[in-house]
Amino acid sequence: MSTYAERGATQSQKLMVFVLSMSLYGLATLISELIPSVQIGIVELSVEFFLFIPLTLAMLFDPLSAALGAATGELVFSEIMLGQFGGLGELEKFLTVTIGVYIAGLMVRDPRNAKQVAIAAITGPAIQLAMSAVVDIVKVQVAVDDFEAVAGLPESVFATEGFAFLNDLCFSGILFCLLPTLFLVPRLYGKIEPLLGCKPRTPENDAAPTLSGRVIAWSAVGFIVAIVVACVSKAGFSIIEWEAEWAESQIAIFTGIGVAAVVALIVAFWARRSAQLRNA
Amino acid sequence: MMEKLSENIMDKVSIDFLRDQVLKNAYGNDDTPIAQLDPRVLLLWYLFFALVPWFLNDVVVLMGMFVLTAITTRLARVAPLVLFVFALGVFSQTGYMFVASLLFGGDMSTLAPLLVLTLKVATVSLASITVFSGLDPDKLSNGLLWFGCPERLSFSISFAYRILPILMEEMQNILLSYRMRGRAPEHDTFGGKVRWVIYQVKTIVQSFYPLMLNTAKRSRTTVEALELKGYRYAATNMKVLKIKLSSLHAGRREAVFAFVSAAWVACCFACPAALEVLL
Repeated sequence: MSTYAERGATQSQKLMVFVLSMSLYGLATLISELIPSVQIGIVELSVEFFLFIPLTLAMLFDPLSAALGAATGELVFSEIMLGQFGGLGELEKFLTVTIGVYIAGLMVRDPRNAKQVAIAAITGPAIQLAMSAVVDIVKVQVAVDDFEAVAGLPESVFATEGFAFLNDLCFSGILFCLLPTLFLVPRLYGKIEPLLGCKPRTPENDAAPTLSGRVIAWSAVGFIVAIVVACVSKAGFSIIEWEAEWAESQIAIFTGIGVAAVVALIVAFWARRSAQLRNA
Repeated sequence: MMEKLSENIMDKVSIDFLRDQVLKNAYGNDDTPIAQLDPRVLLLWYLFFALVPWFLNDVVVLMGMFVLTAITTRLARVAPLVLFVFALGVFSQTGYMFVASLLFGGDMSTLAPLLVLTLKVATVSLASITVFSGLDPDKLSNGLLWFGCPERLSFSISFAYRILPILMEEMQNILLSYRMRGRAPEHDTFGGKVRWVIYQVKTIVQSFYPLMLNTAKRSRTTVEALELKGYRYAATNMKVLKIKLSSLHAGRREAVFAFVSAAWVACCFACPAALEVLL
């Protein structure tokens, strides 16, 4: 722990990075949520527009705190504060943003190296955009039963999603992630770190883990969870309908049992939690 | 005439206006019947109305649920801007589909399935507006904490509402000072318009440089103040949680609210059957 602290990433500094990334990215997404997206031809200036903020912070500080902070900021500022909280569907965005920013931050060993920063600044958004495109395709596949049977549907879904991905990456990615990050990282390097009381990141004192197989494995797990969650939130009703088919005659009984079980669970949880707090 | 109209809209949508609306939404409605309810009961209520409509396909039942959530939203006195964003969101999700299907030779028969989808989306979003906008942020974060949500999430919610007005004001000041120092290009011709957009985007990106430095200073102050109070240890300590959550109290008012909601939903479910018997 002490060696870790000497390298410039104590728990409280991680919390500072979390708070910094959360408030800045939250503010940016809130503004972009309130102002309808501007469309210039086929170029859409949307939320990806502001992804340069967490990318810059993830390169300069602890990547995981910056990534989690950005995803939390988006959730709290633009979803909960505006009352647009969609439940499970938001988890997919949370995970893809976290993974994209985290990997981009890990790719940079030395923030002074412009080439490293440039490669990471375009790879991060690319990973995030690719993951959300795959999630969208899988969602359509799950929602439509005979996906392959409908003539032209698979091709059109792949084409539109692929085109949206390339469009976002080429225009939003380069204009609003790559260039601003290249502008901000060298300027902030060495200036913003003392404000949080830590040393600038160099290859020698880097405390962040390298981009290893473990990180990639965990990212893959997160991605799969995102797909599953997106499908459940989209196609939840079809699962229930399938269950109802074999229980058609006793459907009322099953509904009754279900309602009773849910109520019992809530009451039990309530009692347990109250007791826990009372005995503390 | 058109010029005047667009000028009028641009006047309204300034950063000041956005800030006022968000603040009003957060703190301006402490005395509504919804805000006085126990956050735990409201969160459970939200859970029901966020999940159940997706499983239903009956227009009458969905309509009844929609009316109930609309009433609660009215009771919560939500800021108009939030309702506008909600209406825009619902239209962009389902409304344009109807317009598109009309263009491709559809008729009124496409309206029925779209109505079901719209009702589902609208009910779920109105329920979330009622709970997340109608409640005081501190109450909301206490409620989430009680259910065992990570302390960081509930901290983020309380912190976000406090820091947002300050951040917005600061961003506006920085943007204005950039605008005073620079000179926006003429935007009469097409080339000028492109240059104008590039100039605006550049200004926004550049203004994040001072904003990041200022926010870094502020977040250090915040975290150091939290550390002084032993935040990281307090967050996981049951004794501290007990003191913090002792203000939560579910009593008769919550019971009435839950009963009225349950009775209303039961009526909605019974309504189609009752109609069948009568006719």
